[in-house]
This record gives sequence, structure tokens and C-alpha cells, in this order.
Amino acid sequence: MKAKTVCGMILAVLLVCSVFPAFGGGAREADREIVLTWPCIWVGQDSKADTIEEIVNEFNEMHAGEIKVVIEPQPDYDGYEDTIRTRLAARQAPDIFTFKLSPTTAAYYSGDLLMDFSDELAGSWGETFNQGNLDASTINGQAKSLPYEIGFTPVWYNTELFDEAGIDEFPRTMDEFWDACDKLKAAGIVPTSQMTGGTNSWTSMLWYTHFLGSYGGPGVWEEGWDSPAFEQAAAVLKQLYSDGNTTRDAIGADAGVSGGHYQAGRTAMFINGAWYIGNIRENSPEVYRATKLAPAPQAGDYYGHQVGWLHTNLGAAHTDDPARREAVIKFMQYLTAPEQAKRVSLAAGSLLAVEFELAEEDELDPLQAMFIEAGIQAEFLIDHVEASMPVDVVYELGQAIGAMVLEDRSPAEFVQMLRAADPRE
Amino acid sequence: MSSLDRKTSRNMKWIILFLLPVTVLLISFFLYPIVFLVVLSFMEWNGIEPMSFVGMSNFSSLFSDSIFQTSIKNNLIWAFSAALLQIPLALLIALILAREPRGWKFFRTAFFLPNVISLVALAMMWRAMYNPEFGVVNVLLENIGLGHLARNWLGELDSALPAVIFSYQIYIGYFMVIILAGTISIPKSFYEAAMIDGANVLQQELYITLPVLRGIIVTAGTLAVAFALRQFETTFLMTAGGPANRTPVMGLYMYRRMAGLTYGRAAATGVLLILLGVFVLSGLQRIFGKSDAVGDSVQ
Repeated sequence: MKAKTVCGMILAVLLVCSVFPAFGGGAREADREIVLTWPCIWVGQDSKADTIEEIVNEFNEMHAGEIKVVIEPQPDYDGYEDTIRTRLAARQAPDIFTFKLSPTTAAYYSGDLLMDFSDELAGSWGETFNQGNLDASTINGQAKSLPYEIGFTPVWYNTELFDEAGIDEFPRTMDEFWDACDKLKAAGIVPTSQMTGGTNSWTSMLWYTHFLGSYGGPGVWEEGWDSPAFEQAAAVLKQLYSDGNTTRDAIGADAGVSGGHYQAGRTAMFINGAWYIGNIRENSPEVYRATKLAPAPQAGDYYGHQVGWLHTNLGAAHTDDPARREAVIKFMQYLTAPEQAKRVSLAAGSLLAVEFELAEEDELDPLQAMFIEAGIQAEFLIDHVEASMPVDVVYELGQAIGAMVLEDRSPAEFVQMLRAADPRE
Repeated sequence: MSSLDRKTSRNMKWIILFLLPVTVLLISFFLYPIVFLVVLSFMEWNGIEPMSFVGMSNFSSLFSDSIFQTSIKNNLIWAFSAALLQIPLALLIALILAREPRGWKFFRTAFFLPNVISLVALAMMWRAMYNPEFGVVNVLLENIGLGHLARNWLGELDSALPAVIFSYQIYIGYFMVIILAGTISIPKSFYEAAMIDGANVLQQELYITLPVLRGIIVTAGTLAVAFALRQFETTFLMTAGGPANRTPVMGLYMYRRMAGLTYGRAAATGVLLILLGVFVLSGLQRIFGKSDAVGDSVQ
């Protein structure tokens, strides 16, 4: 009987213990080898996936038995952001991760969750980054993330469709722009790709930001909601959604639909970043070859600017273990070394915050070269809505566009909807 | 101590030992999260910095938000449509299949099959079907001469919510199987007696099947309403609450507050969603589930 009781107790204890993963076994670090996990968005079909994997494998080989970086594939952007947010709230920051630095995610810098790279960046490592990007990633003197990928989004236009409509060059003024739209529509071509879906109404958000920059100039975000530029840009956006200037499915469409229309040659103008080059080159080579880039037409006092911002920052979990910290720093330094940045950039078409030199034998993608040229030519850069506003405003943008178009709300009401969503107001 | 007392005491030990794992699970994954949710609903917390007590302000800010009001309204519409569309449809199909017409096994499988497919996949499929440029819904309407009804189903104010609800509620297989299983328990002799008395099929269903199945129908209805109240994925994937904030539900509202790192408001939304669920489901049981063994058993 006693034996039975003991067995029963052991069984019960095992059942209880099985609830907790800590008792359930699982992967264990080998002695002295430091394993760093990296929930990574650059996997699967992402244009950077192959190169990032190569770089990680090389690093692991170089530090075999000492450091091992393990990529946890997370191919969904929204899901990735949810994962990072939740893990940080649970105080379980991943060893290495990426995030978009914005007024909302700047909160990640609070407390001691993230590793501060300030000391290391004060040396030669810091000089490899674009200083403006590094400054933008430094909050209250702390560099708790590293600038990595830069977002830069000129207007893409399909020269073949422009030729078909009898348009010689990309319009410079708004009058020329609307005239070009009319010519395209007359030729049976939808002028622009737009979208209100996804979490940020991506394509339309970028169109809106271009016109915001044209009306409000480089200081529009500092002026805040009281700037008339917000309403003026909204009026242009409303027109872009009217009179057949975009596809019928624009309200509710996501980035796949919006980009799909451009890739299928249904729309003549579209906005996205350099990371889309690999995608369009592979899936729509004809449209890729016909694509050129331009600044948005001049709607207000300013012209020639571009929408450019810090797209992705690299973060790491704070640790009190000096060996672990050193391992993370080693990997970050390897990943952001100019030669690795160059590999990633050339393979994926991405623009990075790490500065590197191009040799003559380096084959630059023609469209990527246009991106670089557009960046050099830009009068000024302006952050987009998502990089400048809290997440709540970004979510509301698509709803406000829908209300402006479907309920015929005025641009002033559009801005009021966004203001109402701003938790800072 | 008598031998009976000793036996009872030994049994108690066993009972406690074997209840312990499930009790730990219940406390860890049900009770603790709910208590935490309630506590958090009175706090301001961005997930990074320490929490601070803000009293009822999370709740008061929710009720002054028109999007939250729309979310509650939409949740109720989802719940009513589950009760009034999904269950009657499931009942109708179950009653037909219970008569075992030719090919009834095929249809039973066909109706149930979508239940083993991920909601995400179904939502993406419906999204494509509703697309106004190349979606099959508009093509079908045009082919049958109803082209004037073609529209941007998910992008227009009047059609977005019904389109999303329809794409979810059309899958009745789960409830159909529950009801169909109930029909098996009805003795054939009931129907034979009714036939001898001259009752036709409709009368048999009305006066035998439905009264006997009442408890099961209430059970299925309760589940359908509960599923509808916790709705999130379909709305998130198909409209993200749009267009113009016409389709948000409380789950989506809560998700957005979390994305904005306002966890206190998200928790307050969660608390109100639980209360709404309790209110709707207890109302449903009060109305339909009186003195009903099967219905009571699921409460």
C-alpha cells in the first residue's frame, strides 16, 4: 500500500512538473557555447533571406564551439511585431531581434530590457554607420538599437504604360500629374496603386507623406497637427481615390494587392522601397525593366524631396553576463561590417544604414542604382507617417481614408479622425 | 479512527493528488490570467515601464470612444447572426441528412470539411473571392445576369460587415454534426408511431425531433454565440475593421490597443468582453435553456 502511495505521489508530481517547460527538457547549450536566438523576419521568400543565412552560418563557423546564432524563422511582418511586443512585455527580450523605431516603439528604450551599444559605438564601429541614422537611433544618449535598413520610397512608374498613354516624362506639377492621369485612363490604364488595408495602409501612406512633404516641407512633423499641410495633402489623396485614379479594390486592399496591380501592369504608378526590387525582378521582369523612379509631383511649395526613414533597427536583450554581451556585440559587429552590408545590399537591393564602398566590378542592380541616385538628388528626406506617429494613428489612417472617400468626409474631418486617435493629443 | 474514516482519508489523498495537476493548470492558465486581466484594467502600462494605478479611467475612455461602441454593436450583430443564421441553417441541414437521403454521408463530410481548415486560410480565400477586380463572387453575379449587384464587397460601407459575417457563418458543419448526433438518440419507434397516426414528415420534425433536440440546439446555439463573441481572425484578415471603422469587433479593438502599447485599455476591453459574453450567454440560457438537462450541462 505504501509503495502504491509513493508511486501515486511520483505520478502526480510528474504530471504537475510536465506543465512547466522548465522541467520538460529541451535544447540545452553545450558547455561554454553561447547560443543566441534571433527571431528573424528575413527568412523564406524575403530578398535578404539567403544572404542573412549565409552570414549567420559563416559567423557560426568562425566561432564554432564558442558562439552559435540560431535563426528562428518568423516570416509574417505583423506576427513578428506582435511576438516582439509580447516578449518584451513578458520581460523575455530575444537575444537578437529587429524592430521599426517609431514614437510607440521608442518605449522599448525605457527600463533595462535592451542592450545599450553606446560604449562600443563610441569607437571605430560607430563610424561605419551613417551618422544621421545613428543619431536617430540614439534616445537620451542611449543607443539601444542599431540602425540597419533604411526605407526610401520614390514614386515608381512604368515607362511603357506612360509611352502607351503618350506621356513623355514623369509630371513635375500637379496640373501635369492630373493631366497624365487623364491620359492614362483614356488609354485604359489605372493611374495609381493605392490601399487602405494592412496595418498601415502602406502605399497610400507613402503617397500621403510625399504630398505632406511638398506642402509642409522638412519641418512638417515638428509643426504637428496644426500644420495646414495635413489637410492639403489629404485633399490630394482624396482625389487620388476618385474618378478612377486608382483601382476599384483600393479601399480594403493590402500591400499584396496594391503591388500586384503594379506588377501586373494594371497600374502605372506605385510607391515602395528598394527591398521590393528583388520581388519585382523575379516575378514581373518586364515591368521591372520598364520601371523608373521619380520624386512626387509638386503639390505645395516644396519639390524634389523623398520619403526616407529608418526602416529596421537591430536590438538585443540586455544581459548582465559579460560573456554573453560580448557574444552579441561580436555578432552585431560582424553583421553590420561594411563588407557584409554590401553583400546584403547588392543581393537584395536594400539600402542600409551601414556605409560601404562600391568597387567597379560590383554589379549594382539598375533600379537600385536609380534609388541611390534619387537619394543623392533628394532636396530633403521626410519620415513617413508610421515612423513619425504613434501606432494608433497609423491604424486609423486607412479608416480615415475610407471615411473620406466613402462617406465624402472633408480633408479637415480626415485630419480630425487621425488626431482623435493620437494618444498624445 | 474507524476503518471507514481511514479509507475516506486515504481516498481523499488520492483525490487531492490526482486533482492537483489540473488544479495547477487551471490556476496557471485560467484563474491567474483573468485576475491579472482585471487588475491590469485599472492600470496604465506600456509593457515596458512599471504599471501605475489609474482607477476607472481605462473604462471611461473606452465608453467615450465611438470605435469601441461600434465594436460592441458589431459583436452583438455577430452573436445574433450566429443564433439566427448559423444554427437554423445547421439544424435544417442536419434534419435533412438525418433522413439519410442518397449521398448523405458525402454531404455530411462536405459540410464538416471546412471545420478542419484554418480560419486564416478561409479568410484569405474569401478575401480573394470578394475582390472586385478578379473575385469569383462578382464574376458569378455577372454571369447570371446580376452584374448590377457586383461591388467591392469588403470595401463598401453597407456590404463589408454582412460580407465578413457571411463568410464565417456559412460554415455550419460543426453545429450540424452536433445536432445530427442528437437525432441518432431519438428512438425510431417515435416516428413509426407518428406515421401510424398519420403525421407527415414536417409534423414529425415539428412535434418529435425539435422538442427532443431542444437541449442540443441550445447547446449548439450557446457555442455558436460564444464563438461569434470571441471573433477576431476573420475580421482582422478580411477588413482590419474597415472600411471607415464599420467592421471592428472587441477582439480587434483589444489587439490594436495592445499594438499601441496601451495594455490597460486592452485589458479593460477584455474585461468588458467577458462581461458581455456572460450577459449574452446567460440571457440565452435563461430564455431557451429552462429546465433543460442538456442545456444546463454546458453552463
